[in-house]
Amino acid sequence: MVKVANVKKKASMLLALTLASTMVLSACGSNNENKGSESTGGEGASGKPVTLKVEVFDRGNSPSGSTITKNYLTSYAQDNFGTPNNINLQYVPIPRSEEIQKLNVLMASGSDVPDIVFTYDSPTFYRYAQQGGLTELGELLDQYGPNLKKFLGEDTLAYGQYEGKQYALPAKRAHLGKYSSFIRQDWLDKLNLPVPQTTDELYNTLKAFKEKDPGQTGGKVIPLGMALASAQYEPLIWSFIQPVTEEQRYTLTQQLGSNDYPTLLPGFKDALQFMNRLYNEGLMSTDFSLDEDKKKLGEDAAKGLVGFFSEDDMNPFYADALYATLQKNIPDAKLSAVDVYTNSEGKHPKPEYAPVGLYLMIPKSSKNAVEAIKYLDWMASGDNLLNMQNGVEGENYTLQDGIPVTKADASDEVKNRIYNWGDMAIISNGKQLGDTEKNVEAYVFGMPEQFREETRKALSVSRSDTIKPVLFDRPIEAQSKYGTSLRDKFHEIIVKTTMVKPDQFDGTFESMMKDYMANGGQAILDERTKAYEAMK
Amino acid sequence: MNAIAYLRRYWQLYALLILPVSYFIIFKYGPMYGIIIAFKDFNFFQGINGSEWIGFDAFREVFAMSDFYKTLRNTLMLNGLDLLVSFPAPLILAIMLYELNIVWFKKLSQTILYIPHFISWVIIGGIVYQVFGTQSGMINNIVTSLGFESIPFLTDKSDWLITYLVVGVWQSAGWGTIIYLAALTGINRELFEAAEVDGAGRLRKIWSITLPSLKPTIVTLLIINVGHMIAIGFERPYIIGNTAVRDYSDVLSTFVYRIGIESGQYTLATVVGLFQAVVGLVFVLGANYFSKKLADQSIL
Repeated sequence: MVKVANVKKKASMLLALTLASTMVLSACGSNNENKGSESTGGEGASGKPVTLKVEVFDRGNSPSGSTITKNYLTSYAQDNFGTPNNINLQYVPIPRSEEIQKLNVLMASGSDVPDIVFTYDSPTFYRYAQQGGLTELGELLDQYGPNLKKFLGEDTLAYGQYEGKQYALPAKRAHLGKYSSFIRQDWLDKLNLPVPQTTDELYNTLKAFKEKDPGQTGGKVIPLGMALASAQYEPLIWSFIQPVTEEQRYTLTQQLGSNDYPTLLPGFKDALQFMNRLYNEGLMSTDFSLDEDKKKLGEDAAKGLVGFFSEDDMNPFYADALYATLQKNIPDAKLSAVDVYTNSEGKHPKPEYAPVGLYLMIPKSSKNAVEAIKYLDWMASGDNLLNMQNGVEGENYTLQDGIPVTKADASDEVKNRIYNWGDMAIISNGKQLGDTEKNVEAYVFGMPEQFREETRKALSVSRSDTIKPVLFDRPIEAQSKYGTSLRDKFHEIIVKTTMVKPDQFDGTFESMMKDYMANGGQAILDERTKAYEAMK
Repeated sequence: MNAIAYLRRYWQLYALLILPVSYFIIFKYGPMYGIIIAFKDFNFFQGINGSEWIGFDAFREVFAMSDFYKTLRNTLMLNGLDLLVSFPAPLILAIMLYELNIVWFKKLSQTILYIPHFISWVIIGGIVYQVFGTQSGMINNIVTSLGFESIPFLTDKSDWLITYLVVGVWQSAGWGTIIYLAALTGINRELFEAAEVDGAGRLRKIWSITLPSLKPTIVTLLIINVGHMIAIGFERPYIIGNTAVRDYSDVLSTFVYRIGIESGQYTLATVVGLFQAVVGLVFVLGANYFSKKLADQSIL
C-alpha cells in the first residue's frame, strides 16, 4: 500500500464521519414530533391561564389598524369568554386559498396544531376521522355544550358523524338555497318576448337573442353565459335528470368533494346533448372550458354581452358586483331573477346545500378539548352570535321586525369592526335569526337598496324544488379516494361532449363514461350499493 | 506524511466544504428518508415510523391506474417535443446574437430576451388566455375580423401543443442563451480572422468555428435535458393546460399534485415520485454513456 493513498483514505473517512453525524443530528430533530398526543380533559379554571388556539381563515382583507389575529371580534371573544374563564384565546391564521394543504401540514406535524381546526371539505374530515386524528366529541358536547347542541340541531350534527360517533361539529347553514338564473329583462322587452317558462322556451329565447342581438353587441352576443363551475352547469344538468326512486338516488348519485354529481342518473346524457346543441349552434360561451373561476363569465355579463345565465343566488347583487357594474356600463340594463330550467314533470329542480358549513374539529393531540367546546358553546349562547355577526346595536345596525339592518351611514371604523364575522362566528354559515325566512330577509337587507327586490326573488328561486344531498350513515371510502380525480373527469365529460361535433357526440360520451367508470366511478357505485343494502 | 499532518495542512479546505455538504445532507439527502412512505400505508397521525409496511402494494396500485400511463405518455411527449423545439432555440438565438456587431443593439436585445424568464407562470397564464382565447383573444380577434374561423389555440388538443411549445420557447429561450454566450466568449478571435483570410463566408464560419466550439456545452446541456425527460415542471402544464386538452396536458407532476396534495394519498404520490427519480437516473446514465461512445464527451 502506498502511504499517500492511505492518508487520503483516512481523510475521506473523516469527512464521511462528519457527514454521518450531521445526518444523525438532523434525523433527531424530526423524531421528537409525534409525542405528547395524549388528550386529556383540561382543568384550569383557576391558576395558570389555559391557552386555547383557534384556527382562523386569513383572506388578507384586514382593514388598517387590525390584523386577522387581533381585531374587534377577537377582543370581543377574549373579553366575554376568555378572561372570565381564565383562558387565553390565540388565533392561528391559515390562508383561505390553501386551507386544506396548510391544514394537512399542521395536522401531520402533530405538535403545533390548533385546538379548534376546520375545513369545508368533507372528505378531509372523513380522512382525519378514519386515521384516528380527531377527538370524539359526543360526551363532551353533552357535558359542556348544551347550548351548542341545541343550536346546531340533529340534522346538522348528523353530518359530523363517522361510524356513528361524533367527530366533527358542522357549522349550521342559515340558507340552503344555491342557485338562481338571471335573464336580461330589457332584452326581452325590446324583442317583445315573454319571460321563458321552460327549457324549450329558453332555447327559442336564446336563439332570438343570437339572431336579433337586442343588446347591439356587434355580433359578440353570448345568449347563454356558461362557465366550468357548478353554479353554471348544475342547474342545467339537474333539470334533465329523470325522477328517480329512493334506491336510485342513494346508489347512482356520486358525491365528489362536497357536491353530489348526477353522472349515473338517468337523464345525464340528455343534459349533455342539450349543451352540445347549444354550443354547436353558437348559443353558449365559446371559452367556457377555460373559465373555472367564472371570471370571464362575470366580465362578459358585466359588459352586457350575456343574455341568460345561472349563478349563486345572491352573487350578482352585492355592492360593486356584477349587476352594479352592468348598470354602470349600460344604464338601462335590467337583470331579472328567473326559474327556467324545467324537468319532465314541469318542476325546476336544482341542488341545495347540505345544512352544514365548516366542519369544526378538535385534533386528538389537543389538551384543551373541554375549553374548545366551551368556547363554541359560549358562541351559541345568549346574544353572542348576534353580536359577533352584526356588531353593536344602534351603531352597526338597527333591528326591524327582529332583523338586523346594517346602518349604511356608519363610519368605516364602525363597519370594520365586523369585517371578518363570517370567519369568526364559525358555528354558523350565514346570519342566524331563528328561522329561515328571517335569515333570508337578513341577506336581502344586506344588499344595496335598489337590488333588494330582485335579491328576494333570487333567494326564493334558489329554495324552490330543491334536491337534497344524499347522506349515508357511513362514509363511502371510494369517494374520498377518487373524488378529486373524478371531479376533474366529470368536467372533462362536460367539456368534451359539449364541444364535440354533434355526429361524434355518442361516441365521445361512451368513451368518456367508460374512462370515468374505470377510474373510480364503478368503485363508488359498488360501495354505495353495498352501503344502501346495509342501511335498509 | 501521515493523516494528522495531512489534515493539519489542508483542514481549511475541508472546513470550507462543511457548509455545502451539510446543505446537501439536510435538504437533499435528509428528505430521502420520506421515500419510505412509498412502502407504507402512511397515516398522518401515526407518522412515518408508526405507519404499517405494505411492501409493493402501492406500486401495484399505481401501475394499475390508466391515468398513470396517460400522464407518463404525456410527460414524455411534451418533453420530447420540447427537446426538439425548445432545446435548439437558445442555441440559434445565441449564435444570432453573437453575430451582431452593433453593441448597444445587442445589449438591448439580450435584455428584452431575458425578461420573460422572470415572469411567473401564473402571470404568463393570464397573458396566454388574453392572447390565445377563442372568443376574445387578441389573435383570434384579428383572425375573425379578417373573416376567418377562429382558431381554438387553447381548447383543441393539437393546437394546444403548439401554444404550449411556443410559450415555452418565448419564456426560456432568451435565458438559455446565457450559457452559450459565455462559451462563445472563449473562442479565439484569430480563428475567425484566419478563416476570413481563407475566404470563408459567414455561414461557413458559423458551421466550422462557432458550432464546434460550442459542442461540449451543447452535449452537456443535452445530457441534462435528457435526464429531465421524465421529470416535468408543474406550473407550465398546469397553468397553460385546461380541461378541454387534459388528454395532452395531464402530466406526472399534475397527477402527483392531484392524488398527493388534493386527495391526501401521500403513499401513491411518493410512489410516482420515486418512479420518476429512478427512471430519470437511468436516462442520465444512458445519455452520458452514448455521448461518451459517440462524441467522446461526458459529464460523469
